[in-house]
Amino acid sequence: MIHPAAAAASQAAAASGPVIPSGPALTPAPVIAVAPALGLAGLAGLPVHGVSLEHPDTVAAEHWLASLSPAPVLACTHLVRSPRPHVALSLVFADTAPELGAESPDAAAEHVAGRSGRAVLYPGVDLLVGTLRVADVLALSAIEKVEVLGGGEADPQALLDTGDFVRPQWRAGRLTLTTTPAAGDRLVPFETRNPTPCCAAH
Amino acid sequence: MGHGHHHHEHDHSSGAAADVPPALDLSVPDGELSPSDVSRRGFLRSAGLLGAGAAASVLATPSAAAAAGLPHSHGPAGGGTAKGGFRWLAGDHHIHTQHSSDGQYRVIDQAGHGRAFGLDWVVITDHGSNAHAKIGVDKVNPDILATREELPDLLTFQGLEWNIPAAEHATVFVHPGRNEVAVLKQFEQTFDGSQLPATNTEAQNEAMAVAGIKFLGEQVKRRKVDGALFLANHPARRGIDSPHEIRNWRDADPTVAIGMEGAPGHQAAGIPAPNGRGGARGLYDNNPSAASYSGYPLETYRTWGGFDWMTATVGGLWDSLLSEGRAWWVTVNSDSHVNYLDQSERGPGSDFEANGRYHDPVYTGKVNTTAGDFWPGFYGRTNVGAASFSYKSVMDGLRAGRVWVDHGRLIKTLDARVRVAGDRRAATGTPLGGVLHVKRGTATELTLEIDLQNVPNWAQFIPVLSRVDVIVGSVTGPVSARDTFTAPNTKVVKSYEVSPGARKLSVTYQLGRLDKPFYLRLRGTDGKRTQPGLMGVAVDPAGPKLDVIGDADPWSDLWFYTNPIWVLPK
Repeated sequence: MIHPAAAAASQAAAASGPVIPSGPALTPAPVIAVAPALGLAGLAGLPVHGVSLEHPDTVAAEHWLASLSPAPVLACTHLVRSPRPHVALSLVFADTAPELGAESPDAAAEHVAGRSGRAVLYPGVDLLVGTLRVADVLALSAIEKVEVLGGGEADPQALLDTGDFVRPQWRAGRLTLTTTPAAGDRLVPFETRNPTPCCAAH
Repeated sequence: MGHGHHHHEHDHSSGAAADVPPALDLSVPDGELSPSDVSRRGFLRSAGLLGAGAAASVLATPSAAAAAGLPHSHGPAGGGTAKGGFRWLAGDHHIHTQHSSDGQYRVIDQAGHGRAFGLDWVVITDHGSNAHAKIGVDKVNPDILATREELPDLLTFQGLEWNIPAAEHATVFVHPGRNEVAVLKQFEQTFDGSQLPATNTEAQNEAMAVAGIKFLGEQVKRRKVDGALFLANHPARRGIDSPHEIRNWRDADPTVAIGMEGAPGHQAAGIPAPNGRGGARGLYDNNPSAASYSGYPLETYRTWGGFDWMTATVGGLWDSLLSEGRAWWVTVNSDSHVNYLDQSERGPGSDFEANGRYHDPVYTGKVNTTAGDFWPGFYGRTNVGAASFSYKSVMDGLRAGRVWVDHGRLIKTLDARVRVAGDRRAATGTPLGGVLHVKRGTATELTLEIDLQNVPNWAQFIPVLSRVDVIVGSVTGPVSARDTFTAPNTKVVKSYEVSPGARKLSVTYQLGRLDKPFYLRLRGTDGKRTQPGLMGVAVDPAGPKLDVIGDADPWSDLWFYTNPIWVLPK
């Protein structure tokens, strides 16, 4: 169950908080308060908080996420289809967590098990800008594996055009970035910042 | 939102067989029917709604083979290509006009181009929306009537693109007649996703989708319209058509819900910049959302050789339906909204919400290189084996699954039949979509005849077919888990390389002596882009390749697909 007051408060906070770039007009490279040297191992043992504020999509969830102070060091979105489709989050803080609102034990459990979840904030995310070799992505960030859709592991020397928007996912316990081939013999992350919207006018 | 329709029935369709009306229940002999049911059954039979399409599973319809294999008379008029006892009528069931908020063309613009590019039938499918439900659905009809008048050798259906509650879009269309608008309008106002309360749960919306399909079937049974069909559009684009929803639609009324787009439209969207949009082929560039079915892998969301993952994956979702014996057909379409290299734009000064349409398009003198669509007929076509050139024959052919599809006119004609081995009579053989029933131990064979292309396509080259694959799967009956989307027994069993310079491909493939039920389907390619299939090299050694974002020349990666033929023991 969602606590209405908490949801309303978080929406209000989101309206005035800083914004993680999610549109073309914004400058890339969010500044995240985490040292790149800190890998996922360094976060082991910290509690994972699940939270569900019934955000309708990942854009809204990331908008709320950007309003948190202190910011989490690891934050993932989780897709929930029923009773109504919404996005929950799982969050790890370096120190004390701020007030978050309605809990989502499922999101926390998925994150802890490494089964599912899409990482928005993770160690090294601020370094994944411009075009990088796959090997650099693995060295600079907490991403543990880079795959090509339908084609296995990516060549470490392949070039990845990050689009300054890299959202790896938990898969079988490893933070995995899926990529697809793109023009110019590059790879791009599977998820693009601005996918084609559903065309119907609802 | 103000249009709060509250939903009468939340009926889950699993028990559908129990409430079959007597006229539809073939286990009730004619003699035991009331006079009105006898008349009703006669009507349904003549409308093609008994037999092949009347049950969810081909396993339950021994009459299907007979129905599909009957000799056919030819209509006197209209286009198409005669082959294998049918007149093959090329069409497109997914076309937008100025009555869509993201469209711009007149009906005659789309229909005229479609006809010029070789189509025999088109369906006008503007988006369901507030403006369309209230205004557009009426306003488009006079334009459609005028187009029928202006282009008598094109069959122009009125339909709409339904926002399926809880799911993607679907083409819904009806047979022309005095109630065509009334039925479509009532359907849209009651069942379109845009007209439902935002507070609905997934379960409520899924039930509304099923109720909508049943409503269409009821309108046919009550003789309001002579036919109504549903085809799921771009089914894998956003991963929100779950496997159980697809099964539920089919089971809601198999005479209405007959299939899905095997390939989406927007096939120009991957043409590299600066000459093209430089996007994703089919505009398939989405990622999972909260409405997506969580079991789908990321491969779901992209196109493979221009085709939707559900169809392109050998041993994937489509095959899982076919291996159940669940008749479910595939098509290809343009989804034309705004066309690549066109020189017009939306009429200025329009008020779509108030008028339900945009003003007529205007010529700009500029060439639109960023549009992602082709004109109807320019690239993809859905070829329907029809008994004659008529609205009813197209709907009957679609319902029977006598359908093959291609991109870029890869081949000219195709005649595939499964026969009792050695029987080469012209009038025998079970065509696409059909079911051949034989005694166990009977040897059967596929006979395939393809006229290779000898006429240039609309990119001004003659496509060259390189290879044809025969795909076979066992029929294992209904799945217990309705979200199943794999078919572990389906694979490519034979590939034929086409000799360079050949004019025709004629092959016979021995299917062996029948020991267990199976189906087969065919696929062909220009051979320019292949990779091992997603189920492994042993299943599909050279399947369609993942399309490259921003570099997908649609003319250099052509495929055809046929619908299946089943072989079942008597």
